[in-house]
Amino acid sequence: MFTQRLDFKTTDLDTFPFPFTSGNYRYSNDLKRLSNINCIEVTPEYRLQVEAKRRLLQEQPHIRFQSFPHTLEMQWEVFEMLIDMAIDRYPQHFEVLKDGDNWTFRNHIFGESDSFVFGDASTLPNEPLDYIGRHFHNDFVLMVHRDSNFYLEVGQVSYAALFSANWNKGMSFDEIHAPVPFVSRKGDELAERVRKFLLSIEPGKPWTRINWNLMADRWDVNYETMDVWEPKRSEITPESAGKLVRLRVEEQKFYRLPRSNAILFVLNTQFLPLEDLALRQEWFDLTYSVLQDIPEPMAKYKGIAPFLPQSVEYLRRIDEERKSELRK
Amino acid sequence: MYNSPVLFDKSVTIVNQFTVRNGRRKFVIIADQSGYEKAEIFTSEAAGTVPVEFLAIRGVEDGERIKRFLLSQTMGTQFYISAAWGNAVMVFKLGVEAGLSEDEIQVVIIGPKRRYVYCMKCFEVTGVAEKAESTECGHCKASLEIGPFYSIVREGYIGYPFIPAGKEEVVGS
Ligand code: HEM
Ligand SMILES: [Zn+2]
Repeated sequence: MFTQRLDFKTTDLDTFPFPFTSGNYRYSNDLKRLSNINCIEVTPEYRLQVEAKRRLLQEQPHIRFQSFPHTLEMQWEVFEMLIDMAIDRYPQHFEVLKDGDNWTFRNHIFGESDSFVFGDASTLPNEPLDYIGRHFHNDFVLMVHRDSNFYLEVGQVSYAALFSANWNKGMSFDEIHAPVPFVSRKGDELAERVRKFLLSIEPGKPWTRINWNLMADRWDVNYETMDVWEPKRSEITPESAGKLVRLRVEEQKFYRLPRSNAILFVLNTQFLPLEDLALRQEWFDLTYSVLQDIPEPMAKYKGIAPFLPQSVEYLRRIDEERKSELRK
Repeated sequence: MYNSPVLFDKSVTIVNQFTVRNGRRKFVIIADQSGYEKAEIFTSEAAGTVPVEFLAIRGVEDGERIKRFLLSQTMGTQFYISAAWGNAVMVFKLGVEAGLSEDEIQVVIIGPKRRYVYCMKCFEVTGVAEKAESTECGHCKASLEIGPFYSIVREGYIGYPFIPAGKEEVVGS
């Protein structure tokens, strides 16, 4: 059985997508143009993350992967795009041999080699996106463009923060975001504005944003296991928060697919325990400031209300210690 | 299509009273025995606007007949369904299959509406009373808090699992 107490965190801080740029955080349309458009990344935690992801997909297939049967062609489009990116960036790790439609894909990190017929899903052990997704640590979601909206038609989700591929299957962008208290600093509703923005995304010009949350001693929090993690959150104390509470960030990338016109949503999820924030003083200061100023509805929605005060108290103590060191 | 409308208790098509839809060429009223009275009241209200056709139904045994009737209607028709929950769901479904959009349908439910909860533990639905706030999953027995969000794909409200006070904790990931 999968353990949620994974001893996993980002060790190369240069790859950690730190989320805060100012001392307080409110929801906004914070999408920015993505400069490096290749979403494949092999970090020091690659093996650990991919192995954990594969285990989840194996043990909980209905929770972690969902699709409609009519999406296979779109899935092949993504399949090809991800393989191209992987080989382009890491030719030493990934390789593809093509003889017409007879392809062999190799992952040298895991020492794996699979042969199949491109375009014929029956020659793969899983659906195309489910198969190729198992070679990268990201989550992948396909949002199909229809009637000025986007509908979730394929999802491989192993790092959930209230994201259930099973529950969200077939939902529109607006339905998916209905639980979010999605109001801006000025108080206006954001869902419609963001959806309209997504409509304007063009092929070859992806966009990005960073989402964040805090996790209390968990890898992911999903609706499926709410009975397990919900009561545990209040067990966090200021003494344990440094190790057990992690800043969880999702670097999100949005690609328009040229053939199917769908949006591919790619998530890179990384974790940093609160105690590691001190490795970068600027990160510590921003996080400490942001966490002291979370609006109540946001804290409730994110599920952090039961351990936010303990987390802030932990940071306050560290801050105090540092300041008294400086005074010496 | 998976995102075709379905009839649920908060469906936009459900109204307390039928209203005359302007710009339509014809009204069709479909009623079961319990909905007959409401249908009659509306028939007299709508008199003199556009032609009105009435179809009386009994239950599922009329499925084929209703289907043929719906398919024979022309564009520009407004449909009014006045029936008990089960019959309304059946006619609504047949209407959607015949290509109707929610904009072309009004529904008056006679008697209680049914609600369904989608269990996030076992992914099955369980019927609940209209005002219930929590329930026990009819399949896996998990305690579920009934959330406000509805999935037309799962045909149910989200059921958040919780452990009721005093119960042994189950171990899971
Ligand atoms: C198009 C693909 C997208 C998908 C599939 C998606 C999916 C989701 C899901 C599943 C949730 C959690 C909902 C729940 O609580 O049940 C969520 C939350 C959220 N989404 Fe999106 N989203 C997308 C795009 C965006 C974009 C473009 C924005 C941009 C501004 C955005 C902003 C948010 C915010 C602010 C939250 C709340 C997260 C938090 O506070 O922790 N999403 N999204
Ligand atoms: Zn159940």
